[in-house]
Amino acid sequence: MDFFMQGLSQVANIQTILWMAIGSVLGIILGALPGLTATMGIALVMPISFHLPTATGMGLLLAVYCGAVSGASIPAILLGIPGNPNAIATVEDGLKMTKKGKAGQALGGAVVASFIGGIGSLLCLVFFSPLIAKATLAFGPAEKTTLALVGLVIIASVSGKSVLKGLFMGALGMALSLIGTDSFSGALRIPFASILGHTPLTKGLDLTSSLIGLYGISQVLLSAEHLTKPAAEIPDVKIDHIFPSFRKVCSMWKIILASLGIGTIIGAIPGTGASIAVFMAHDTARTITNASNGKLEELGTGCLEGVFAPEVANNAVTGGALIPALSLGIPGDSATAVLIGALMVKGVNPGFQLFSQNMSLVYAIFITMFIANLFMAVFQLAGVRLYPKILKVPEKILMPLVLMLSFIGAYAIAGQATSVGIFNMGVALAMGILGYFCKKNGYPFSPLVLGLILGSMFEENFRRAVKLAGGNYMTFFTKPICIVFIAFAVFSVVFPIIRSRKKASK
Amino acid sequence: MKKIIAIAAILLVLAPALFAQAAQETQFPDPEKSFTIVVGFSAGGGTDLIFREFAECLKEVSGADFIITNIPGGSSATGTNELLNGEADGYTLLGSGTHTVSATLQGTTAGFTELDYVAALNWDPFVICVQKDSPYNSFEELVAAAKANPGKIVLGNAGQTGATGVASIGINLNCDKSFNVTAFNGGAELIPAVLGGHCDAGIFSQSECINNIDGLKPLVILTPARSILAQLADVPTLKEAGFDFTVPGGSFRSLSVKKGTPQKAIDWLADMSEKAFNTERFQTYMKTKGLIPYFLKTKDYAEYDQTLIDSYTPILKEAGLYKFGN
Repeated sequence: MDFFMQGLSQVANIQTILWMAIGSVLGIILGALPGLTATMGIALVMPISFHLPTATGMGLLLAVYCGAVSGASIPAILLGIPGNPNAIATVEDGLKMTKKGKAGQALGGAVVASFIGGIGSLLCLVFFSPLIAKATLAFGPAEKTTLALVGLVIIASVSGKSVLKGLFMGALGMALSLIGTDSFSGALRIPFASILGHTPLTKGLDLTSSLIGLYGISQVLLSAEHLTKPAAEIPDVKIDHIFPSFRKVCSMWKIILASLGIGTIIGAIPGTGASIAVFMAHDTARTITNASNGKLEELGTGCLEGVFAPEVANNAVTGGALIPALSLGIPGDSATAVLIGALMVKGVNPGFQLFSQNMSLVYAIFITMFIANLFMAVFQLAGVRLYPKILKVPEKILMPLVLMLSFIGAYAIAGQATSVGIFNMGVALAMGILGYFCKKNGYPFSPLVLGLILGSMFEENFRRAVKLAGGNYMTFFTKPICIVFIAFAVFSVVFPIIRSRKKASK
Repeated sequence: MKKIIAIAAILLVLAPALFAQAAQETQFPDPEKSFTIVVGFSAGGGTDLIFREFAECLKEVSGADFIITNIPGGSSATGTNELLNGEADGYTLLGSGTHTVSATLQGTTAGFTELDYVAALNWDPFVICVQKDSPYNSFEELVAAAKANPGKIVLGNAGQTGATGVASIGINLNCDKSFNVTAFNGGAELIPAVLGGHCDAGIFSQSECINNIDGLKPLVILTPARSILAQLADVPTLKEAGFDFTVPGGSFRSLSVKKGTPQKAIDWLADMSEKAFNTERFQTYMKTKGLIPYFLKTKDYAEYDQTLIDSYTPILKEAGLYKFGN
């Protein structure tokens, strides 16, 4: 209880509340704009958070995160275009509801669902992360190596249509993470070392700049192909009956619980993310409604059930992804990877030490997460008639703004080190171009991002584990946790291949 | 038209740099700028925490903003190189010390040859600890186990080229190289590895040891004298434990800037450091963490650093790690 009060005292001030309110609105707007993701939103406000107290800065970032995940439902429902991958599965029923004239109910229902998902997963986070933090001591270098492997393999095998393309991108990401300096010997590991060896690249590719490039600049390049196209026509719909009836929400309890569970668990597995969780939740909801003997409406017909399931799940991912992030220091998705980066800048090392020595900050983060969800619900409901207007901003105004913010963000992360800032902008641009070609050719780049994030973790822990075992490479097969993870990794590659073979043979 | 756009773009990019240059000539510090202290280790480790506390005290006495940037890797060499790649304008400082000496002598950074000394701060003694439930109850038992089974007992350090790395190599050389000396990325990674039983023993700073005293069993302290902290007062020195050799038994923390920084800036920073060092807050902090105060300014610190370099050189040469000057 002491820690809770100390945590509360770090958060209960006007500065924190104000920044979180700003972050929340900003997050919703960013989420609502097609092509701008939660990750990018967090990366763009990260430089601001450096200059705030730790708890306030985290509050700001979490507010943007929750807002962006939830805001993505607005264009999904009104236009059938998801604001970002979080709302992919909301499109089907959301758009049909709009066509039926029930846009208000869909938008309001999405907010209520997001709130339930966010708060539900927060409870899981509060309950599970201290337990996992206690268990972290069982995670030595060997266990961490295999966990990173699981994350890489899963993302590679689920994120694209082709497992091979996914694995290739994961490997490319790992290769890029090797650029820089050998973390054991301090030797340079860089091409053209005589030139590049005197640049900030010796520190490796800056992760936040890379993410800004991949998610922000590549989107700008894609849109540049059709800049003259006028903004999407917003159907002139009446937005009313915003609140779903309490009875209706209660009747969907099975869907809500299932989606909550799916979102939290999928979020907590490194390498996975909202885009997988929302489809799983949607599928599960279909099974539930089919079995309900007509008590629930059938999915795909434009019903609230079809909006609720993915919207509960995508906000449940936020809490789930923070579980391994805070307790093990391993990000559940790319957005939490940036959050971890922001914590480290503040001198907080997620993992065992955070829970053993800074429990008050842990509680402060939990409390800000609650406020973030509350603000998200309040501000999105309050502005439910306003946000659709954002969609009228034409791309030729929006995209140059995104480009500018991307460069400013990459530059600002370096703080006073101006030469590093310039290099970060270059990294962002290069990654943006890479991301553009990936998107054009159907190469998923989330494995690339996870490769960048987990690659160095994999390498360092692999080498350390082998050294600890006195040079024995078989050490990974002697520890039970490792064996479970390796089996899991093998299964997640082999299963999709077998399934696609079976499909092909039919 | 294109040319004009190109020129405008270049000017836009260069503008901040130009203004910065102009401001720097007129006054130091520029109230618009904040200071960055580069720490070459992960956040949360012993070195990091000391510099964070000191940055807070610097903020108090100077009114300027001081930010810590963690650039871990290469046992502080990565962060040092990062600083050396930057401007010598006095706004970026290095959290330097014994780890800088060690990394420079091992040739992973130009280190002290390219640095100007600002102020020396304190010593943090090293303690060798095992997990609480470990079968080894004294350093003698640990060494005996290592000698009986060479290469099986792991002695972890917080970075091969850092101060704990050198100390662990020094110990290993005096124990017939029977330990498996393994480097971790800072104390923040070493602590859970020892607590979780993945690593048999580790060399910790005193503060790291005390923060985790519930799970650790300290065996020996590596300084010539016992700890000034009540909790560690019972821990014997190497000599008391029956070992007749010495190793660089602590980490020394100081502040430096890139060579070529204007003398005015260095003097200002040194004065502020002295004030910050003498604040009650920092004095109390050092006392509670068991840090041994050792404040020196600019030239005095430069002389002292030479004695550190002289004590590191023979150990690194013997371990075959000495690559200074090639």
